[in-house]
Amino acid sequence: MPYLGSEDVVKEVKKALCNPHIQADRLRYRNVIQRVIRYMTQGLDVSGVFMEMVKASATVDIVQKKLVYLYMCTYAPLKPDLALLAINTLCKDCSDPNPMVRGLALRSMCSLRMPGVQEYIQQPILNGLRDKASYVRRVAVLGCAKMHNLHGDSEVDGALVNELYSLLRDQDPIVVVNCLRSLEEILKQEGGVVINKPIAHHLLNRMSKLDQWGQAEVLNFLLRYQPRSEEELFDILNLLDSFLKSSSPGVVMGATKLFLILAKKFPHVQTDVLVRVKGPLLAACSSESRELCFVALCHVRQILHSLPGHFSSHYKKFFCSYSEPHYIKLQKVEVLCELVNDENVQQVLEELRGYCTDVSADFAQAAIFAIGGIARTYTDQCVQILTELLGLRQEHITTVVVQTFRDLVWLCPQCTEAVCQALPGCEENIQDSEGKQALIWLLGVHGERIPNAPYVLEDFVENVKSETFPAVKMELLTALLRLFLSRPAECQDVLGRLLYYCIEEEKDMAVRDRGLFYYRLLLVGIDEVKRILCSPKSDPTLGLLEDPAERPVNCWASDFNTLVPVYGKAHWATISKCQGAERCGPELPKTSSFAASGPLIPEENKERVQELPDSGALTLVPNRQLTADYFEKTWLSLKVAHQQVLPWRGEFHPDTLQMALQVVNIQTIAMSRAGSQPWKAYLSAQDDTGCLFLTELLLEPENSEMQISVKQNEARTETLNSFISVLETVIGTIEEIKS
Amino acid sequence: MIGGLFIYNHKGEVLISRVYRDDIGRNAVDAFRVNVIHARQQVRSPVTNIARTSFFHVKRSNIWLAAVTKQNVNAAMVFEFLYKMCDVMAAYFGKISEENIKNNFVLIYELLDEILDFGYPQNSETGALKTFITQQGIKSRHQTKEEQSQITSQVTGQIGWRREGIKYRRNELFLDVLESVNLLMSPQGQVLSAHVSGRVVMKSYLSGMPECKFGMNDKIVIEKQGKGTADETSKSGKQSIAVDDCTFHQCVRLSKFDSERSISFIPPDGEFELMRYRTTKDIILPFRVIPLVREVGRTKLEVKVVIKSNFKPSLLAQKIEVRIPTPLNTSGVQVICMKGKAKYKASENAIVWKIKRMAGMKESQISAEIELLPTNDKKKWARPPISMNFEVPFAPSGLKVRYLKVFEPKLNYSDHDVIKWVRYIGRSGIYETRC
Repeated sequence: MPYLGSEDVVKEVKKALCNPHIQADRLRYRNVIQRVIRYMTQGLDVSGVFMEMVKASATVDIVQKKLVYLYMCTYAPLKPDLALLAINTLCKDCSDPNPMVRGLALRSMCSLRMPGVQEYIQQPILNGLRDKASYVRRVAVLGCAKMHNLHGDSEVDGALVNELYSLLRDQDPIVVVNCLRSLEEILKQEGGVVINKPIAHHLLNRMSKLDQWGQAEVLNFLLRYQPRSEEELFDILNLLDSFLKSSSPGVVMGATKLFLILAKKFPHVQTDVLVRVKGPLLAACSSESRELCFVALCHVRQILHSLPGHFSSHYKKFFCSYSEPHYIKLQKVEVLCELVNDENVQQVLEELRGYCTDVSADFAQAAIFAIGGIARTYTDQCVQILTELLGLRQEHITTVVVQTFRDLVWLCPQCTEAVCQALPGCEENIQDSEGKQALIWLLGVHGERIPNAPYVLEDFVENVKSETFPAVKMELLTALLRLFLSRPAECQDVLGRLLYYCIEEEKDMAVRDRGLFYYRLLLVGIDEVKRILCSPKSDPTLGLLEDPAERPVNCWASDFNTLVPVYGKAHWATISKCQGAERCGPELPKTSSFAASGPLIPEENKERVQELPDSGALTLVPNRQLTADYFEKTWLSLKVAHQQVLPWRGEFHPDTLQMALQVVNIQTIAMSRAGSQPWKAYLSAQDDTGCLFLTELLLEPENSEMQISVKQNEARTETLNSFISVLETVIGTIEEIKS
Repeated sequence: MIGGLFIYNHKGEVLISRVYRDDIGRNAVDAFRVNVIHARQQVRSPVTNIARTSFFHVKRSNIWLAAVTKQNVNAAMVFEFLYKMCDVMAAYFGKISEENIKNNFVLIYELLDEILDFGYPQNSETGALKTFITQQGIKSRHQTKEEQSQITSQVTGQIGWRREGIKYRRNELFLDVLESVNLLMSPQGQVLSAHVSGRVVMKSYLSGMPECKFGMNDKIVIEKQGKGTADETSKSGKQSIAVDDCTFHQCVRLSKFDSERSISFIPPDGEFELMRYRTTKDIILPFRVIPLVREVGRTKLEVKVVIKSNFKPSLLAQKIEVRIPTPLNTSGVQVICMKGKAKYKASENAIVWKIKRMAGMKESQISAEIELLPTNDKKKWARPPISMNFEVPFAPSGLKVRYLKVFEPKLNYSDHDVIKWVRYIGRSGIYETRC
């Protein structure tokens, strides 16, 4: 759908935009512009009509202006020279008598992402900060953050920061909140906006005037404020009290978090707050907005983590209703599993049993696992329910029940007898790998209590040739050998056959090796086998490891009301780990995303490239624009610090290389055209301490080598080495992609 | 902070895409389409992480709205913002459908430009937005001075939700108490869980800056007042309700509510939601469903369902619909019902029984014979619950509006001159009876 036929479309639109008849008719003109925006939305590259669109911005029609500005903000990075033409119009609009027009122009101007725009926007922003219309001030304040982002380097304009701090006292609430956001971004490297006592109290007093977005944001900023005294702390908590009852769940959760963090030394206050938000949270859990309900449930689970009894009396609120979406049901089952206590266990189990026969296999399995979880405390009742479920003889149920049994026997050895009685007959209803493994493990470890265990395993051995999962075969080997130790007479023959098969016919190396290992172990003698295979059959201490008393509220308070409870702690850890590595190299620049052939660097390679700079102590700073003249001067004045030759074979695509280098923040200053011989390129990069690396790449096709010469303006070998390794990796990656 | 906002149709075609931050690449639009909209399995979570980017989505009919961010944001807030976005769009062009979005896409871009800047939510009050996003932008240059200053004051507004100088010839206000009653009942007729979530929506057409005071039969208030006259306590005690929790529009003075539990405010002009509440005790369940399912052999099922209306005989319930699920292997159904119309809908696997109107304290019954195809599927039919839809002209929570007083000291109209209308509507939320 996208990209196809875009050339014709651009041509046609261009013609329409240039047509004087259409230009004269305002409505038709606007319609054509709308079409351009529609194509842009669909992913077509319509940057070709930039010139015509810029012309269209000179109009009195505000809607048309907005459309053109939207277009310009999207394509300005591609056509920086043409975009400069539009700046004139924008500057003029910035002094329009109508505040709407002023605001719009300023906002658009700040959103143009292209080099060199800073010098034009600086003055309008400063004017905007002092504008009498608050609408313009709001835009200007955020404009400061945009300007800083464009700059890229860490230079902070002190005067501007002071001006923003003073604007925190502005009478318009949105300006105040925008100031906080803007300062936070500008001062990111110094730890963000500073919230001292006067600012904190000023914000607290303005809270009620803010809208819900502002309140949530301010609550978040207040987290970093440390009250001086206990008295002040409780004053603040009193002021915040009403926000626990806000109509916006986001604000309620924000306020809760602030309470929890501020009162981290007063556990009773924390508990008290959690009691008071119970109502709002329960309301959110049963609200019609399902997504909010989901988020609330995630947080309920988080609270239950420390206070298992917190929602026990409300357990009925977490019963699933048939028409609820899948994700809510799964969360509710988890919650039910955690809030169970002596009083409600009967009802909760009753309810969960109902879910086990649900049409959705996924949901049914989740319910069975939940029963398994409850079984750690209320073993007898649960084992009975699970055993009854086996009677249904349905594959998706049986397999999960057997898996639950396996985990349960390990944690609660007292139920072994009951489980062993329930097992016979299960093998007919299990087809998947996980279930088979669980069953075989149970038969192997507790086989002496199950009369027909050897014969069930024998059936598995009979069919081992058609078995598709290697893991099942491994499990089978171990189980049979274990059973052989307790019931040698019945197993000897079967074990022999299995070992023969595994060693002689099996194609999977791991299985074959395991078979060989057991064979040789048997040769050593039965005592040795016993020593190695007779490990303990259960470990009840594991179940007690997670003691709620050791999970105080403080250990998750800082994660409350973020994405951590939504994703789960483990998942979040993997996500944020990757993000840490990414910080060194920003996302592929905009230009690449419009390329018709899709991304040049496959996803997995890109990640590799991006993670690399983190390995050394080197951080290259993005967007360092060096002029060619300056480069030449510096290049000539410095000596070569390092020279190296890399092997290079076959085709060569300079664009790909340039793109890849840009990802790790190495800028290409100049390079020869593709195909010219010898091919040369000059690169520059700068790290966060200001050290410059200038590089020459020289490719001579006849000896298939790439010569790299690096010059450095400060002689430091460590950073030089890490820079060279980054460069090597990039070139190596390109080479790999090619081949 | 929201990095970008995308709107897709059910096929995954992009209808609107607006990116606010540099860290969201153009490929994010496609990532969500491929991983969520086109994914085969059920949606596992409304928050999806793809390549370290979080996608928050909500669905409205068959339209997907997705907010994208790379930051560790506050999930509830993002969803609230998406809901707000939907409300704002609905206020401008009605239902959110593919058709409407395509027809109004310029307007939507304008709105997106206004309510989010650099990914931060700005002014999102529909009332305020409507004064300056009108779709008649041509006027902009020729606006009168007065109009311009009005916009400025609106945009500046000390009280964000109301502008000065509103004038009506007739001062009028409408109060709607809208409740949705939710029920989960066991086959034996035991209430497993029930709650009412309600909203008080007010439409005000009042001049000036009126100060309003709203009163309802809140148990705490009535008990407090009743302390003096013991006689009244016993009388009104029955009629008062216990509200589990309630939340208010920004305009309500929360401090006053906390101290005296009175609800006083300066209302926004036009329609807004004054409060939202939830009750779980003493709910009047408007209908009871009594199911009887009998399996006759392996190929036949007999179902009898009785519904009883449980409210004043003078009131009429409307739009009643009972949905009785049937097994997947149903081959034919015969239905007999005393009232209304019943039909077997094979595509939905259910018998749908519709009754236009039904008075209180009545009962009606449907019986059906369901023929089943013999199957060798050992899976037992899970018997989904019988669900119901209806609308009744009272509040199932028992909430009553006691008064709504209007004071406007500066203009010369008094509480008596204001025409007030109150209406109660109770609708079914999830109203299920297991069978």
